[in-house]
Amino acid sequence: MAQVIGGIGSAHAPSIGAAWDKGLQRDDRWAPVFSGFEPAKHWLEALRPDLLVIFYNDHMNRFFFDAYPTIALGVGEVHRQADEGWGKRDLPDLRGDPDFAWHLARSLVADEFDPTICQDMAVDHGILSVLPVLGDAAMTTPVVPIAINVIQHPLPTARRLFRLGGAVRRAIESFPADRRVLVMGTGGLSHQLHGARYGFFNPEWDNRFMDLIESEPETLAALPHQDWMERGGTEGVEMIIWLAMRGALGGAVQRVHRNYAVPTATGLGLLALAPA
Amino acid sequence: MQIPGTIIFTGEQSRRGYRLNRMAMSLTDAANRARFVADEAAYMRGMALDDDEVELVLRRDWRGMLEQGGSIYLVIKIAGALGCSIQEVGRHTSGIAERA
Repeated sequence: MAQVIGGIGSAHAPSIGAAWDKGLQRDDRWAPVFSGFEPAKHWLEALRPDLLVIFYNDHMNRFFFDAYPTIALGVGEVHRQADEGWGKRDLPDLRGDPDFAWHLARSLVADEFDPTICQDMAVDHGILSVLPVLGDAAMTTPVVPIAINVIQHPLPTARRLFRLGGAVRRAIESFPADRRVLVMGTGGLSHQLHGARYGFFNPEWDNRFMDLIESEPETLAALPHQDWMERGGTEGVEMIIWLAMRGALGGAVQRVHRNYAVPTATGLGLLALAPA
Repeated sequence: MQIPGTIIFTGEQSRRGYRLNRMAMSLTDAANRARFVADEAAYMRGMALDDDEVELVLRRDWRGMLEQGGSIYLVIKIAGALGCSIQEVGRHTSGIAERA
């Protein structure tokens, strides 16, 4: 039988991938980010999950507005890297897990969640800015990606994503074969890429958010998008993706590791949680 | 839903910006980027952009592109192909404050 063995919430950003590729691991600004990943990396290596289910968002790299899915599930054998407009990074393709992913599709739809099912799911920095930093174990473990629309309104509510996580947990627990599953959610944290509030971010809210994800996810699930955007910036609304990861962990959790660092003009948060 | 100084990417924006966004999305292909850079106006007309939209890009009017319905995630692909940074785009669009 399959089970959820842990969860990781992480900010994603193109800058993390760029800094990683440039070898800035010991750079004054970036060392607090990359060294902050180390305990999560070691934890993941010790856990040796068989599968990563990753909630993230695509940034207009796989999906376009001709047909824009609210929830999209990658069921392919392989997830190639999307070209985001400036060429691909030197990274291997990710392995998929079609047997589990198709089970997940059937289970979610029976559970009244209806993802767009994608046999060709190119993935972007929503996954690939984070995974290499979590080490070779993370990069070589099969991945089932679940992309969430946080770009074109109307967006799914925070509560919907929290419940989606619960449905993913039920799917994992009803899978007949063995899988030890680590669930990840990537997004944000607070940031704003345009307009009068360009460059805005809110460390106080970022940290409050990481407190609440751990202890009071229901409180976060109740927040409307307006509140997320006021507190965390228009593009920071993608923080709601973490709620899907948290929903998949179920009730009480135990914190394994937490980090928050500000390498540039945005705070990057990381949280590793184990089921209590 | 409204936040001062901010464009929320609604269906209305997405509808208005569809052609501009589709052109920007095409720049996720390296061969398209090369064609775009070689002759911006011709490439954009080939993607059915109207004169106003072509002019916004030729002027590097990032703020205008957002107001025209451009998604920030796609406008930065146009910027990237033209060698402009995300920071330049962000700073330029900060003028949106004035009208909100």
